Amino acid sequence: MPCDCSTASMDRRVFVRAGTLALVSLGLDPIFLTRAAYANRSTAQPPNRQKTLICVFQRGAVDGLNMIVPHGDAAYYRERPRIAVPPPGKDGGALDLDGTFGLHPALAPLLPFYRAGSLGIVHAVGSPDATRSHFDAQDYMETGTPGRKGTADGWLSRHLAHAADHRETPFRGVAIGPQLPRALRGAAPALAIGDLQAFGLRGRGRARDRIEAAFEEMYAGAATGLVASSSAEAFEAVKMLRTADPARHQPGNGAEYPRSPFGQAMRQLAQLIKAELGLEIGFADLGGWDTHVNQGAAQGQLAARLRDLGAGLTAFATDLGERMADVLVLTMSEFGRTVAENGNAGTDHGHGTAMMVLGGNTRGGRIHGRWPTLDEGARFEGRDLAVTTDFRTLFGEILEKHLGATELTSIFPAFEAVGSGLGVIG
Amino acid sequence: MRPSGIILAALVAAVAPALPAQDADTGRAVHLLNRAAFGARPGDVARVLALGVDRWLETQLHPDRIPDTTLTRYLASLDVMRRSPEEIGRVVRDALVERRARQVRAARDSTRPMEPADAGGSPLRRYPAQLQQAALARAVLSERQLYEVLADFWVNHFNVFMAKGNELALMPAYVEETIRPRVLGKFEGLLVATAQSPAMLMYLDNAQSVAEGAVPPVLAGQRGRGAGRQAARRDSLRARLEERMPKGINENYARELLELHTLGVDGGYTQADVVAVARILTGWSVRRRGAPEFEFNDWAHDGGDKVVLGRTFHEQGMDEGLELLAFLARQPATMRHVSAKLCMRLVSDVPPEGCIDAGVHAWERSDGEIREVVRAILRSPEFWAPEARAAKMKTPLEFVASAVRAVGGRPDSTPALAALVGRLGQPLYLQAAPTGYAEREESWVNSGALLERFNVAMGLAAGRLPGVWYDADRLVPLESDPGRLADAVNAALLTGTAGDATRSTMRRQLADIRDPAAARVFAIGLALGSPEFQRQ
Repeated sequence: MPCDCSTASMDRRVFVRAGTLALVSLGLDPIFLTRAAYANRSTAQPPNRQKTLICVFQRGAVDGLNMIVPHGDAAYYRERPRIAVPPPGKDGGALDLDGTFGLHPALAPLLPFYRAGSLGIVHAVGSPDATRSHFDAQDYMETGTPGRKGTADGWLSRHLAHAADHRETPFRGVAIGPQLPRALRGAAPALAIGDLQAFGLRGRGRARDRIEAAFEEMYAGAATGLVASSSAEAFEAVKMLRTADPARHQPGNGAEYPRSPFGQAMRQLAQLIKAELGLEIGFADLGGWDTHVNQGAAQGQLAARLRDLGAGLTAFATDLGERMADVLVLTMSEFGRTVAENGNAGTDHGHGTAMMVLGGNTRGGRIHGRWPTLDEGARFEGRDLAVTTDFRTLFGEILEKHLGATELTSIFPAFEAVGSGLGVIG
Repeated sequence: MRPSGIILAALVAAVAPALPAQDADTGRAVHLLNRAAFGARPGDVARVLALGVDRWLETQLHPDRIPDTTLTRYLASLDVMRRSPEEIGRVVRDALVERRARQVRAARDSTRPMEPADAGGSPLRRYPAQLQQAALARAVLSERQLYEVLADFWVNHFNVFMAKGNELALMPAYVEETIRPRVLGKFEGLLVATAQSPAMLMYLDNAQSVAEGAVPPVLAGQRGRGAGRQAARRDSLRARLEERMPKGINENYARELLELHTLGVDGGYTQADVVAVARILTGWSVRRRGAPEFEFNDWAHDGGDKVVLGRTFHEQGMDEGLELLAFLARQPATMRHVSAKLCMRLVSDVPPEGCIDAGVHAWERSDGEIREVVRAILRSPEFWAPEARAAKMKTPLEFVASAVRAVGGRPDSTPALAALVGRLGQPLYLQAAPTGYAEREESWVNSGALLERFNVAMGLAAGRLPGVWYDADRLVPLESDPGRLADAVNAALLTGTAGDATRSTMRRQLADIRDPAAARVFAIGLALGSPEFQRQ
């Protein structure tokens, strides 16, 4: 663990933990101890190599049918005269994956990963809840409790809170952006970082060091409870970042990140991983998928968004190289879009969509999940791709098989099929 | 495991930090200003002491008798407050329509990125930002402090997320007309007003909730009458409408009404009660034409009998819903749940039983007069108990408001300070979950948030924080002796609550700074960023 914590600071933290137990044994159970208790279960060294899950949320509901094109399903071309991606072999055609499905041509950089077996795809995946509200559906996907609005914490936070063995580091859960997404909010600490290099106290050189030292001294002496442990974590995080200096990690293997916000987010997540800061959950957002009007086919708006997505994922996987054996990237979106194109050559809010799983032990090179077909009778409410895989089945399998989670029933409460598994992770 | 004596002794110190010497009355005044107000401004403690704690509290319970000219003048500088909520709503709605049209146009003629960002001057950016700023300014500037604390509490209790859809246009009316006039009134009145507010009806989808099989009059006629193009067009319009028509009840509002607004999650209701409540409230919707207003649609209402918590509600149209809300407002579980939440806000994260009981008794006596419930809580022994002092972590709103108040600062008319509250993790009116923002400290304390608070503290002290101005000379005179400077800052900003560790750190850190102005800035920044200032 790259931490040069001073003895004094270690003693204080040990004291905080010992104090926790003492308080509990006295019959007191202050809330602030919740987190300290999680920290208590941790070990100084990780039992295995650090595993990392990166979640990419495609906010706005991606058209899964144009991202992963069911070119073998005749209804696809019948329902989308203006916006269908042409079949493989045609100009601007889909890139065939298995004779039935193909990648949108803007995702061409991902094709080698699929062929090499490190990229898997789950189609017709989504929420059992019928809502077509972005807001509600994102909320359900992030809390992991579809249909239930009152859930306060996110599924990723619940995982962090329940995971028994982990490194104690402030960088276990990190979202790149100004705010923590719902999925990472909850009892487990997590960081929202807009820019790694700006994280910490502002100011220059000695003035900044001076301010930092003053606050550290003050909090070491005067803070109690959760404020004490969190402030200790904060100063530790700042020092860790300074020592590790993630920004010094240039992209490896000739990887080129797009200059888009998404590309830069992926680049920073890769830097955190390479800096060995103990990142377990990383989170990045990518918006602009709500293509109601003129979404385009092989070219156009959707293609432009997919190009950004494909380039960012490719750069990330290329950059990390062999390290991708321990890193798994999962894309998700709140729902899919209508099978039929609408009057504006776009698509409206639908139901099932497709998600991509890249790296780790992914059983890639294949399409997972049962394909319900686009036949009218098989559609959800007569119009949308049906959901044959509950998103929690996929999320749960990844938590269990990639991150070693054992408390799936707490992470996805009231989901009976949890742990049934799809076979996406080998 | 048996704790050793040393750990026990250290624990006592950790759990109950020794309060510095401070006379009892001053301590009470500080506590009251921390909880029934957004912290003390320079001179506030003396003002409370001069009036007496009890009389100050009584005055605050009748805010209409307190002149509020500074705030009134400030609010007049905000466009969003100068115009009526209806007018703002109309402008925002028009802007939303215009934005959609612009997106359609943009998408038609090019492959430019979608959803072009609204410029800063757009009503879609300006008004929500100003609405947030108004809330922050009220917390900082109002003389009716208890009223503003409770307005914030109720807006949060009946949370609406303003960015879901058209809620952006509905939020000004929700804050100004639904919540604020009822902050100290009867709980039932607040409950009915929120239940009938377009903002809540849209946010929690009750506007979409219709009885199973209900058909609106516009679709009730015969299909395919007449012939030719016109009839075909009518049929296709009808098909589109039918597709968009809600197909049955939507339980969202019903569930949150029971779980969050009234009974509480352990309030003894079942899923069957949720369904019955949703059925009672079918037809409670929002008028589609013209300005959005509450509307009861008879056609959407479920006419059968419903049973909620063992009581049967017979068909009475809209009155059934009013009867239900009156029934819920008087449930013992509601009294306990809402009193406990008030105690959590005003007293401690873990609300003491005695405090809850005081609230419940006042509720029973007054049939739910919020003024009586709040008075009882603020007069309860639990509120004044030593363990309640400095027991709560400030939320980002409370931290920013109290910091600006502590330095005697004035917000400018930009929304910069409200944006800061958002960056610290509490963007106002933008909590997506119906739970509202959490009251417990674990939601606000994390390492990233603490670092940001240090940055805000130093920025504000140095006058580098956009959106606010203060006069350091009036706050703390220049002083070259570090000990005396630390004491002066402690007295002026921390109402004398700085502990030994904070004071000694300050003295040590200030010792080698030659420039007294720089030392003063550093000292003020350290005080605002100190552990003591994060608590209230």
